Amino acid sequence: MTVLEYLVPRSLPEAIGLLERHGPELLVMAGGTVAMPLINEGISLPERVMSLRSAGLTSIEQRGDVLSIGAAATLTQLVAQDGVALLSEAARNTASWSIRNMGTVGGNLFTPPPGGDVAVALLALDARVRLSGPHGERVLPLADFYTGFMTNALAADELLVEIYVPTAVGETAFIKFGRKHANTPAVVTVAIALQRRDGRISAARIALGAAGPHPIRAARAEAAIVGSALESGVIERAADTAAGECRPFRDAIATEWYRRRMVGVFVRRALEKVVEQEQDDVGEGE
Amino acid sequence: MGSKIITFVLGGREVEVMVKPMTTLQAVLRYQLGYTAVKEGCRQGGCGSCTVLVEGEPMMSCLLPVEDVAGMHVTTLEAITPADGLDRVQQAFLEHGAFQCGYCTPGMIVVSKALLGHNPRPTRQEIVDAFAGNICRCTGYEPIIAAVEGAARASASKAAQPG
Ligand SMILES: Cc1cc2nc3c(=O)[nH]c(=O)nc-3n(C[C@H](O)[C@H](O)[C@H](O)COP(=O)(O)OP(=O)(O)OC[C@H]3O[C@@H](n4cnc5c(N)ncnc54)[C@H](O)[C@@H]3O)c2cc1C
Ligand code: FES
Ligand code: FES
Repeated sequence: MTVLEYLVPRSLPEAIGLLERHGPELLVMAGGTVAMPLINEGISLPERVMSLRSAGLTSIEQRGDVLSIGAAATLTQLVAQDGVALLSEAARNTASWSIRNMGTVGGNLFTPPPGGDVAVALLALDARVRLSGPHGERVLPLADFYTGFMTNALAADELLVEIYVPTAVGETAFIKFGRKHANTPAVVTVAIALQRRDGRISAARIALGAAGPHPIRAARAEAAIVGSALESGVIERAADTAAGECRPFRDAIATEWYRRRMVGVFVRRALEKVVEQEQDDVGEGE
Repeated sequence: MGSKIITFVLGGREVEVMVKPMTTLQAVLRYQLGYTAVKEGCRQGGCGSCTVLVEGEPMMSCLLPVEDVAGMHVTTLEAITPADGLDRVQQAFLEHGAFQCGYCTPGMIVVSKALLGHNPRPTRQEIVDAFAGNICRCTGYEPIIAAVEGAARASASKAAQPG
Protein backbone atom coordinates (compact mmCIF):
# COMPACT_ATOMS: atom_id res chain seq x y z
CA MET A 1 0.00 0.00 0.00
CA THR A 2 1.26 3.41 -0.93
CA VAL A 3 -0.67 5.63 1.45
CA LEU A 4 1.70 8.24 2.84
CA GLU A 5 -0.59 9.78 5.40
CA TYR A 6 -3.90 9.06 7.11
CA LEU A 7 -5.42 12.24 8.45
CA VAL A 8 -8.02 12.10 11.21
CA PRO A 9 -9.39 15.61 11.84
CA ARG A 10 -11.23 16.20 15.11
CA SER A 11 -13.65 18.86 13.88
CA LEU A 12 -15.39 20.01 10.71
CA PRO A 13 -13.28 23.20 10.35
CA GLU A 14 -10.13 21.13 10.67
CA ALA A 15 -11.43 18.69 8.04
CA ILE A 16 -12.28 21.51 5.62
CA GLY A 17 -8.88 23.10 6.24
CA LEU A 18 -7.11 19.83 5.41
CA LEU A 19 -9.18 19.42 2.25
CA GLU A 20 -8.31 22.96 1.17
CA ARG A 21 -4.62 22.42 1.88
CA HIS A 22 -4.29 19.06 0.11
CA GLY A 23 -6.76 19.64 -2.71
CA PRO A 24 -8.73 17.08 -4.68
CA GLU A 25 -5.93 14.51 -4.41
CA LEU A 26 -7.01 13.93 -0.81
CA LEU A 27 -9.34 10.93 -0.62
CA VAL A 28 -12.19 11.57 1.80
CA MET A 29 -13.43 8.52 3.67
CA ALA A 30 -16.22 8.11 6.22
CA GLY A 31 -17.00 4.49 7.12
CA GLY A 32 -14.64 3.18 4.46
CA THR A 33 -16.94 0.36 3.35
CA VAL A 34 -16.83 1.56 -0.25
CA ALA A 35 -13.36 3.14 -0.27
CA MET A 36 -11.40 0.42 1.57
CA PRO A 37 -12.26 -2.53 -0.70
CA LEU A 38 -10.96 -0.47 -3.65
CA ILE A 39 -7.76 0.36 -1.77
CA ASN A 40 -7.30 -3.28 -0.69
CA GLU A 41 -7.66 -4.37 -4.33
CA GLY A 42 -5.19 -1.75 -5.55
CA ILE A 43 -7.89 -0.18 -7.75
CA SER A 44 -7.65 3.04 -5.76
CA LEU A 45 -4.13 4.20 -4.84
CA PRO A 46 -4.49 7.39 -2.82
CA GLU A 47 -1.43 9.04 -1.30
CA ARG A 48 -3.40 10.83 1.36
CA VAL A 49 -6.65 9.80 2.98
CA MET A 50 -8.78 11.80 5.39
CA SER A 51 -11.18 10.03 7.73
CA LEU A 52 -14.37 11.81 8.78
CA ARG A 53 -15.02 9.37 11.61
CA SER A 54 -13.85 11.69 14.40
CA ALA A 55 -14.85 15.05 12.89
CA GLY A 56 -18.00 15.38 15.01
CA LEU A 57 -20.55 14.59 12.28
CA THR A 58 -22.19 11.57 13.86
CA SER A 59 -25.29 12.82 15.65
CA ILE A 60 -28.90 12.12 14.66
CA GLU A 61 -31.26 14.67 16.17
CA GLN A 62 -34.87 15.65 15.85
CA ARG A 63 -35.04 19.46 15.51
CA GLY A 64 -38.63 20.58 15.30
CA ASP A 65 -40.16 18.71 12.38
CA VAL A 66 -36.82 17.95 10.76
CA LEU A 67 -34.60 14.98 11.47
CA SER A 68 -30.96 16.08 11.12
CA ILE A 69 -28.55 13.30 10.33
CA GLY A 70 -24.81 13.88 10.58
CA ALA A 71 -23.11 12.70 7.39
CA ALA A 72 -20.88 10.35 9.39
CA ALA A 73 -23.70 8.79 11.46
CA THR A 74 -23.56 5.04 10.93
CA LEU A 75 -26.26 2.95 9.29
CA THR A 76 -26.67 1.20 12.65
CA GLN A 77 -27.54 4.56 14.21
CA LEU A 78 -30.10 5.07 11.45
CA VAL A 79 -31.70 1.69 12.17
CA ALA A 80 -31.99 2.67 15.84
CA GLN A 81 -33.59 6.10 15.40
CA ASP A 82 -37.35 5.95 15.70
CA GLY A 83 -38.37 9.28 14.20
CA VAL A 84 -38.75 8.13 10.58
CA ALA A 85 -39.80 4.52 10.01
CA LEU A 86 -38.92 4.52 6.29
CA LEU A 87 -35.29 5.32 7.14
CA SER A 88 -34.89 2.57 9.73
CA GLU A 89 -36.40 0.11 7.29
CA ALA A 90 -34.09 1.18 4.47
CA ALA A 91 -31.05 1.01 6.74
CA ARG A 92 -32.05 -2.43 8.03
CA ASN A 93 -32.14 -3.61 4.42
CA THR A 94 -28.66 -2.31 3.68
CA ALA A 95 -25.58 -4.57 3.84
CA SER A 96 -24.89 -6.60 7.00
CA TRP A 97 -24.57 -5.87 10.73
CA SER A 98 -20.78 -5.31 10.65
CA ILE A 99 -20.98 -3.13 7.54
CA ARG A 100 -23.82 -1.09 9.08
CA ASN A 101 -21.64 -0.56 12.16
CA MET A 102 -19.02 1.03 9.91
CA GLY A 103 -20.77 2.47 6.86
CA THR A 104 -22.29 5.93 7.09
CA VAL A 105 -25.48 7.59 5.92
CA GLY A 106 -23.46 10.24 4.06
CA GLY A 107 -21.34 7.58 2.38
CA ASN A 108 -24.50 5.92 1.10
CA LEU A 109 -25.23 8.99 -1.05
CA PHE A 110 -21.92 8.46 -2.85
CA THR A 111 -22.36 4.73 -3.40
CA PRO A 112 -22.94 3.96 -7.08
CA PRO A 113 -25.96 1.85 -8.08
CA PRO A 114 -27.03 -0.82 -7.36
CA GLY A 115 -25.93 0.59 -3.97
CA GLY A 116 -27.48 3.60 -2.29
CA ASP A 117 -30.52 1.97 -0.71
CA VAL A 118 -30.76 4.55 2.09
CA ALA A 119 -30.38 7.32 -0.47
CA VAL A 120 -33.48 6.00 -2.26
CA ALA A 121 -35.49 6.37 0.95
CA LEU A 122 -34.03 9.84 1.53
CA LEU A 123 -35.06 10.86 -1.98
CA ALA A 124 -38.64 9.72 -1.36
CA LEU A 125 -38.64 11.79 1.84
CA ASP A 126 -37.52 14.92 -0.03
CA ALA A 127 -34.34 15.17 2.04
CA ARG A 128 -31.96 18.10 1.68
CA VAL A 129 -28.20 17.98 2.06
CA ARG A 130 -25.91 20.53 3.67
CA LEU A 131 -22.55 20.97 1.95
CA SER A 132 -19.75 22.88 3.60
CA GLY A 133 -16.51 24.32 2.19
CA PRO A 134 -13.92 27.01 2.92
CA HIS A 135 -16.18 29.71 1.48
CA GLY A 136 -19.32 28.80 3.35
CA GLU A 137 -22.24 26.43 3.24
CA ARG A 138 -25.18 25.63 1.03
CA VAL A 139 -28.23 23.45 1.34
CA LEU A 140 -29.77 21.74 -1.68
CA PRO A 141 -32.43 19.15 -2.34
CA LEU A 142 -30.99 15.66 -2.57
CA ALA A 143 -32.61 15.46 -6.01
CA ASP A 144 -30.25 18.24 -7.18
CA PHE A 145 -27.21 16.65 -5.52
CA TYR A 146 -27.03 13.90 -8.13
CA THR A 147 -25.76 14.93 -11.54
CA GLY A 148 -24.86 11.60 -13.18
CA PHE A 149 -23.27 8.22 -12.69
CA MET A 150 -20.81 8.74 -9.81
CA THR A 151 -20.96 12.51 -10.23
CA ASN A 152 -22.63 15.02 -7.94
CA ALA A 153 -22.93 18.68 -7.07
CA LEU A 154 -20.23 18.57 -4.39
CA ALA A 155 -17.34 20.92 -5.24
CA ALA A 156 -13.80 19.59 -4.85
CA ASP A 157 -13.27 21.61 -1.67
CA GLU A 158 -16.60 20.74 -0.07
CA LEU A 159 -17.79 18.05 2.30
CA LEU A 160 -21.27 16.67 2.83
CA VAL A 161 -21.94 17.44 6.48
CA GLU A 162 -25.61 16.92 7.23
CA ILE A 163 -28.83 15.53 5.81
CA TYR A 164 -32.21 17.05 6.69
CA VAL A 165 -35.35 14.97 6.55
CA PRO A 166 -38.78 16.55 7.02
CA THR A 167 -40.66 14.22 9.34
CA ALA A 168 -44.31 14.97 8.52
CA VAL A 169 -44.74 12.99 5.33
CA GLY A 170 -47.98 11.01 5.31
CA GLU A 171 -47.72 7.37 4.28
CA THR A 172 -44.56 5.56 3.24
CA ALA A 173 -43.45 2.17 1.95
CA PHE A 174 -40.07 0.62 1.17
CA ILE A 175 -39.18 -2.54 -0.72
CA LYS A 176 -35.73 -3.72 -1.70
CA PHE A 177 -35.69 -6.67 -4.06
CA GLY A 178 -32.44 -8.60 -4.37
CA ARG A 179 -31.34 -12.11 -5.22
CA LYS A 180 -31.09 -12.98 -1.54
CA HIS A 181 -33.10 -11.77 1.44
CA ALA A 182 -30.26 -9.92 3.12
CA ASN A 183 -26.84 -8.43 2.44
CA THR A 184 -27.45 -8.32 -1.27
CA PRO A 185 -27.19 -5.76 -4.03
CA ALA A 186 -30.55 -4.52 -5.28
CA VAL A 187 -32.23 -5.70 -8.45
CA VAL A 188 -34.44 -2.73 -7.68
CA THR A 189 -35.23 -0.65 -4.61
CA VAL A 190 -38.47 1.32 -4.29
CA ALA A 191 -39.32 3.94 -1.68
CA ILE A 192 -42.64 5.76 -1.72
CA ALA A 193 -44.05 8.69 0.23
CA LEU A 194 -47.68 9.65 -0.34
CA GLN A 195 -50.02 12.25 1.01
CA ARG A 196 -53.75 11.88 0.63
CA ARG A 197 -56.58 14.30 1.15
CA ASP A 198 -60.26 13.33 1.01
CA GLY A 199 -59.35 9.92 -0.36
CA ARG A 200 -57.25 11.31 -3.21
CA ILE A 201 -53.49 11.40 -3.63
CA SER A 202 -52.45 15.01 -3.10
CA ALA A 203 -48.69 14.48 -3.34
CA ALA A 204 -46.60 11.48 -4.38
CA ARG A 205 -42.91 10.76 -4.39
CA ILE A 206 -41.74 7.51 -5.93
CA ALA A 207 -37.98 6.94 -5.68
CA LEU A 208 -36.15 4.13 -7.45
CA GLY A 209 -32.73 2.57 -6.85
CA ALA A 210 -30.75 0.46 -9.34
CA ALA A 211 -33.01 1.90 -12.03
CA GLY A 212 -30.80 4.72 -13.28
CA PRO A 213 -27.31 6.23 -12.97
CA HIS A 214 -28.17 7.25 -9.37
CA PRO A 215 -31.28 7.07 -7.19
CA ILE A 216 -34.05 8.68 -9.28
CA ARG A 217 -37.61 9.90 -8.90
CA ALA A 218 -40.26 8.39 -11.17
CA ALA A 219 -41.66 11.84 -11.93
CA ARG A 220 -44.08 10.78 -14.65
CA ALA A 221 -45.51 8.00 -12.53
CA GLU A 222 -45.97 10.48 -9.70
CA ALA A 223 -47.78 12.93 -11.96
CA ALA A 224 -49.94 10.12 -13.35
CA ILE A 225 -51.49 9.34 -9.97
CA VAL A 226 -51.79 12.69 -8.20
CA GLY A 227 -55.45 13.61 -7.94
CA SER A 228 -56.66 10.00 -8.11
CA ALA A 229 -57.73 7.58 -5.41
CA LEU A 230 -55.24 4.83 -4.59
CA GLU A 231 -57.06 1.94 -6.27
CA SER A 232 -55.92 -0.91 -8.45
CA GLY A 233 -56.19 0.80 -11.85
CA VAL A 234 -54.25 3.78 -10.58
CA ILE A 235 -51.61 1.54 -9.03
CA GLU A 236 -51.20 -0.29 -12.36
CA ARG A 237 -50.83 3.04 -14.13
CA ALA A 238 -48.09 4.14 -11.74
CA ALA A 239 -46.27 0.81 -12.13
CA ASP A 240 -46.40 0.86 -15.94
CA THR A 241 -45.34 4.49 -16.14
CA ALA A 242 -42.42 3.97 -13.76
CA ALA A 243 -41.26 0.90 -15.71
CA GLY A 244 -41.40 2.96 -18.89
CA GLU A 245 -39.54 6.00 -17.63
CA CYS A 246 -36.75 4.37 -15.54
CA ARG A 247 -33.24 4.01 -16.95
CA PRO A 248 -32.00 0.64 -15.69
CA PHE A 249 -28.66 -0.98 -16.50
CA ARG A 250 -27.18 -4.41 -16.84
CA ASP A 251 -24.68 -5.83 -14.35
CA ALA A 252 -23.81 -9.15 -12.73
CA ILE A 253 -27.05 -9.03 -10.74
CA ALA A 254 -29.65 -8.46 -13.44
CA THR A 255 -30.19 -7.45 -17.04
CA GLU A 256 -31.66 -4.12 -18.06
CA TRP A 257 -34.80 -5.90 -19.31
CA TYR A 258 -35.32 -7.72 -16.00
CA ARG A 259 -34.75 -4.59 -13.92
CA ARG A 260 -37.33 -2.66 -15.94
CA ARG A 261 -39.88 -5.45 -15.40
CA MET A 262 -39.11 -5.51 -11.69
CA VAL A 263 -39.50 -1.74 -11.39
CA GLY A 264 -43.09 -2.24 -12.52
CA VAL A 265 -43.68 -5.16 -10.17
CA PHE A 266 -42.19 -3.49 -7.11
CA VAL A 267 -43.73 -0.04 -7.62
CA ARG A 268 -47.06 -1.87 -7.71
CA ARG A 269 -46.26 -3.89 -4.58
CA ALA A 270 -45.03 -0.82 -2.70
CA LEU A 271 -48.26 1.04 -3.47
CA GLU A 272 -50.27 -2.04 -2.46
CA LYS A 273 -48.31 -2.02 0.79
CA VAL A 274 -49.54 1.51 1.47
CA VAL A 275 -53.11 0.29 0.96
CA GLU A 276 -52.53 -2.71 3.26
CA GLN A 277 -51.02 -0.52 5.97
CA GLU A 278 -54.08 1.71 5.80
CA GLN A 279 -56.38 -1.30 6.17
CA ASP A 280 -54.34 -2.48 9.17
CA ASP A 281 -54.65 0.95 10.75
CA VAL A 282 -58.40 1.02 10.19
CA GLY A 283 -58.62 -2.51 11.62
CA GLU A 284 -56.76 -1.47 14.76
CA GLY A 285 -58.95 1.60 15.18
CA GLU A 286 -62.18 -0.42 15.28
CA MET B 1 5.26 10.20 6.08
CA GLY B 2 6.66 7.35 8.11
CA SER B 3 5.27 4.77 10.44
CA LYS B 4 3.55 5.62 13.67
CA ILE B 5 2.76 3.92 16.92
CA ILE B 6 -0.85 2.96 17.67
CA THR B 7 -2.05 1.69 21.03
CA PHE B 8 -5.28 -0.23 21.58
CA VAL B 9 -6.68 -2.80 23.99
CA LEU B 10 -6.71 -6.33 22.59
CA GLY B 11 -8.60 -8.90 24.63
CA GLY B 12 -8.13 -6.81 27.78
CA ARG B 13 -4.40 -6.19 27.31
CA GLU B 14 -2.93 -3.00 26.01
CA VAL B 15 -0.89 -3.49 22.83
CA GLU B 16 1.30 -1.10 20.95
CA VAL B 17 2.10 -1.56 17.28
CA MET B 18 4.24 0.34 14.81
CA VAL B 19 2.38 0.65 11.51
CA LYS B 20 2.53 2.28 8.11
CA PRO B 21 -0.44 4.61 7.48
CA MET B 22 -3.75 2.80 6.94
CA THR B 23 -2.55 -0.67 7.72
CA THR B 24 -5.74 -2.65 8.32
CA LEU B 25 -6.60 -4.02 11.74
CA GLN B 26 -6.78 -7.41 10.03
CA ALA B 27 -3.15 -7.20 8.88
CA VAL B 28 -1.97 -6.00 12.28
CA LEU B 29 -3.79 -8.79 14.10
CA ARG B 30 -2.69 -11.58 11.78
CA TYR B 31 0.78 -10.60 10.70
CA GLN B 32 2.13 -8.43 13.51
CA LEU B 33 0.45 -9.98 16.53
CA GLY B 34 -0.15 -13.55 15.33
CA TYR B 35 -3.90 -13.52 16.05
CA THR B 36 -4.68 -15.90 13.21
CA ALA B 37 -8.27 -16.63 14.24
CA VAL B 38 -8.92 -13.45 12.27
CA LYS B 39 -9.14 -14.81 8.72
CA GLU B 40 -8.42 -13.13 5.44
CA GLY B 41 -11.13 -14.20 3.02
CA CYS B 42 -12.08 -11.45 0.62
CA ARG B 43 -10.70 -8.15 2.02
CA GLN B 44 -13.87 -6.65 0.56
CA GLY B 45 -16.16 -6.67 3.57
CA GLY B 46 -18.17 -9.44 1.94
CA CYS B 47 -17.37 -12.68 3.75
CA GLY B 48 -17.21 -11.93 7.47
CA SER B 49 -14.24 -14.20 8.14
CA CYS B 50 -12.28 -11.24 9.55
CA THR B 51 -15.03 -10.06 11.94
CA VAL B 52 -13.79 -8.70 15.27
CA LEU B 53 -15.58 -6.78 18.00
CA VAL B 54 -14.67 -3.12 18.43
CA GLU B 55 -16.06 -1.84 21.72
CA GLY B 56 -18.30 -4.91 21.64
CA GLU B 57 -19.73 -4.29 18.15
CA PRO B 58 -18.90 -6.49 15.15
CA MET B 59 -16.84 -4.89 12.40
CA MET B 60 -14.89 -6.13 9.40
CA SER B 61 -11.23 -5.79 10.33
CA CYS B 62 -10.23 -5.87 6.64
CA LEU B 63 -11.91 -2.48 6.10
CA LEU B 64 -10.66 -0.82 9.26
CA PRO B 65 -7.44 1.19 9.35
CA VAL B 66 -5.83 0.36 12.70
CA GLU B 67 -5.59 4.09 13.44
CA ASP B 68 -9.38 4.05 13.80
CA VAL B 69 -9.27 1.73 16.82
CA ALA B 70 -6.61 3.71 18.72
CA GLY B 71 -7.50 3.59 22.41
CA MET B 72 -10.40 1.18 21.82
CA HIS B 73 -11.19 -2.37 22.95
CA VAL B 74 -10.81 -5.03 20.28
CA THR B 75 -11.99 -8.59 20.88
CA THR B 76 -11.10 -11.62 18.75
CA LEU B 77 -11.84 -15.32 19.19
CA GLU B 78 -8.59 -15.64 21.17
CA ALA B 79 -10.01 -13.42 23.93
CA ILE B 80 -13.34 -15.26 23.99
CA THR B 81 -11.63 -18.61 24.58
CA PRO B 82 -11.11 -19.20 28.33
CA ALA B 83 -7.66 -20.23 29.63
CA ASP B 84 -9.01 -23.75 30.00
CA GLY B 85 -12.10 -25.27 28.47
CA LEU B 86 -14.44 -23.52 26.08
CA ASP B 87 -16.78 -20.58 26.16
CA ARG B 88 -20.49 -21.49 26.19
CA VAL B 89 -20.86 -20.43 22.56
CA GLN B 90 -17.84 -22.49 21.50
CA GLN B 91 -19.22 -25.47 23.41
CA ALA B 92 -22.56 -25.07 21.63
CA PHE B 93 -20.82 -24.91 18.21
CA LEU B 94 -19.05 -28.17 19.07
CA GLU B 95 -22.23 -29.90 20.26
CA HIS B 96 -24.26 -28.84 17.23
CA GLY B 97 -21.62 -29.60 14.62
CA ALA B 98 -21.67 -25.93 13.64
CA PHE B 99 -18.40 -26.08 11.72
CA GLN B 100 -16.75 -28.31 9.18
CA CYS B 101 -13.66 -26.66 7.67
CA GLY B 102 -13.81 -24.01 10.41
CA TYR B 103 -12.77 -21.07 8.27
CA CYS B 104 -15.89 -19.03 9.03
CA THR B 105 -16.09 -20.13 12.67
CA PRO B 106 -14.07 -17.37 14.40
CA GLY B 107 -16.23 -14.74 12.70
CA MET B 108 -19.43 -16.66 13.47
CA ILE B 109 -18.49 -16.97 17.13
CA VAL B 110 -17.63 -13.30 17.65
CA VAL B 111 -20.92 -12.31 15.98
CA SER B 112 -22.76 -14.80 18.22
CA LYS B 113 -21.11 -13.28 21.30
CA ALA B 114 -22.10 -9.77 20.24
CA LEU B 115 -25.67 -10.86 19.45
CA LEU B 116 -26.16 -12.67 22.76
CA GLY B 117 -24.59 -9.72 24.56
CA HIS B 118 -27.25 -7.41 23.12
CA ASN B 119 -30.07 -9.90 23.14
CA PRO B 120 -29.77 -12.99 25.39
CA ARG B 121 -32.84 -14.73 23.85
CA PRO B 122 -32.77 -13.92 20.14
CA THR B 123 -35.46 -15.26 17.81
CA ARG B 124 -34.45 -17.42 14.89
CA GLN B 125 -34.97 -14.46 12.56
CA GLU B 126 -32.76 -12.24 14.72
CA ILE B 127 -30.01 -14.88 14.58
CA VAL B 128 -30.34 -15.16 10.79
CA ASP B 129 -30.18 -11.35 10.46
CA ALA B 130 -27.08 -11.15 12.65
CA PHE B 131 -25.26 -13.63 10.38
CA ALA B 132 -26.20 -11.92 7.10
CA GLY B 133 -22.60 -10.77 6.63
CA ASN B 134 -20.92 -14.09 7.48
CA ILE B 135 -20.60 -16.65 4.74
CA CYS B 136 -20.24 -20.35 5.44
CA ARG B 137 -19.50 -22.64 2.50
CA CYS B 138 -19.81 -25.88 4.45
CA THR B 139 -22.55 -26.20 7.02
CA GLY B 140 -25.64 -24.79 5.34
CA TYR B 141 -26.04 -22.49 8.36
CA GLU B 142 -28.69 -24.57 10.15
CA PRO B 143 -26.28 -26.06 12.72
CA ILE B 144 -24.86 -22.58 13.37
CA ILE B 145 -28.32 -21.20 14.06
CA ALA B 146 -29.06 -24.20 16.28
CA ALA B 147 -25.80 -23.61 18.19
CA VAL B 148 -26.71 -20.01 18.97
CA GLU B 149 -30.18 -21.09 20.08
CA GLY B 150 -28.53 -23.76 22.23
CA ALA B 151 -26.08 -21.29 23.78
CA ALA B 152 -28.96 -18.91 24.55
CA ARG B 153 -30.91 -21.72 26.23
CA ALA B 154 -27.85 -22.83 28.20
CA SER B 155 -27.37 -19.27 29.51
CA ALA B 156 -31.04 -18.96 30.38
CA SER B 157 -31.14 -22.21 32.34
CA LYS B 158 -27.90 -21.30 34.15
CA ALA B 159 -29.39 -17.91 35.06
CA ALA B 160 -32.54 -19.64 36.33
CA GLN B 161 -30.61 -21.91 38.72
CA PRO B 162 -30.88 -20.84 42.35
CA GLY B 163 -27.73 -19.60 44.07
C1 LIG C 1 -20.36 -6.30 1.88
C2 LIG C 1 -20.99 -5.00 1.54
C3 LIG C 1 -22.35 -4.95 1.36
C4 LIG C 1 -22.95 -3.72 1.03
N1 LIG C 1 -24.30 -3.72 0.87
C5 LIG C 1 -24.93 -2.55 0.57
C6 LIG C 1 -26.34 -2.52 0.39
O1 LIG C 1 -27.04 -3.52 0.55
N2 LIG C 1 -26.91 -1.33 0.06
C7 LIG C 1 -26.18 -0.18 -0.09
O2 LIG C 1 -26.76 0.85 -0.35
N3 LIG C 1 -24.86 -0.19 0.09
C8 LIG C 1 -24.21 -1.34 0.41
N4 LIG C 1 -22.85 -1.36 0.58
C9 LIG C 1 -22.10 -0.12 0.33
C10 LIG C 1 -21.78 0.72 1.57
O3 LIG C 1 -21.52 -0.07 2.70
C11 LIG C 1 -22.84 1.74 1.97
O4 LIG C 1 -23.28 2.44 0.83
C12 LIG C 1 -22.33 2.74 3.00
O5 LIG C 1 -23.40 3.57 3.41
C13 LIG C 1 -21.18 3.60 2.45
O6 LIG C 1 -20.77 4.50 3.47
P1 LIG C 1 -19.24 4.65 3.93
O7 LIG C 1 -19.24 5.70 4.96
O8 LIG C 1 -18.67 3.35 4.34
O9 LIG C 1 -18.55 5.12 2.58
P2 LIG C 1 -16.99 5.45 2.35
O10 LIG C 1 -16.33 4.27 1.77
O11 LIG C 1 -16.41 6.04 3.57
O12 LIG C 1 -17.13 6.60 1.28
C14 LIG C 1 -17.15 6.39 -0.10
C15 LIG C 1 -16.81 7.70 -0.79
O13 LIG C 1 -17.85 8.65 -0.62
C16 LIG C 1 -17.33 9.95 -0.43
N5 LIG C 1 -17.80 10.47 0.85
C17 LIG C 1 -18.33 9.75 1.89
N6 LIG C 1 -18.76 10.57 2.86
C18 LIG C 1 -18.49 11.83 2.44
C19 LIG C 1 -18.74 13.13 3.01
N7 LIG C 1 -19.35 13.27 4.20
N8 LIG C 1 -18.35 14.23 2.31
C20 LIG C 1 -17.75 14.09 1.11
N9 LIG C 1 -17.51 12.89 0.51
C21 LIG C 1 -17.89 11.78 1.18
C22 LIG C 1 -15.85 9.84 -0.53
O14 LIG C 1 -15.47 10.12 -1.85
C23 LIG C 1 -15.59 8.38 -0.21
O15 LIG C 1 -14.41 7.92 -0.77
C24 LIG C 1 -22.19 -2.55 0.92
C25 LIG C 1 -20.82 -2.61 1.11
C26 LIG C 1 -20.20 -3.81 1.43
C27 LIG C 1 -18.73 -3.86 1.63
S1 FES D 1 -11.90 -10.64 4.76
FE1 FES D 1 -12.98 -9.06 5.73
S2 FES D 1 -15.01 -9.48 5.15
FE2 FES D 1 -13.92 -10.94 3.98
S1 FES E 1 -17.36 -24.35 8.29
FE1 FES E 1 -16.35 -24.15 6.39
S2 FES E 1 -16.92 -22.14 5.82
FE2 FES E 1 -18.14 -22.46 7.56
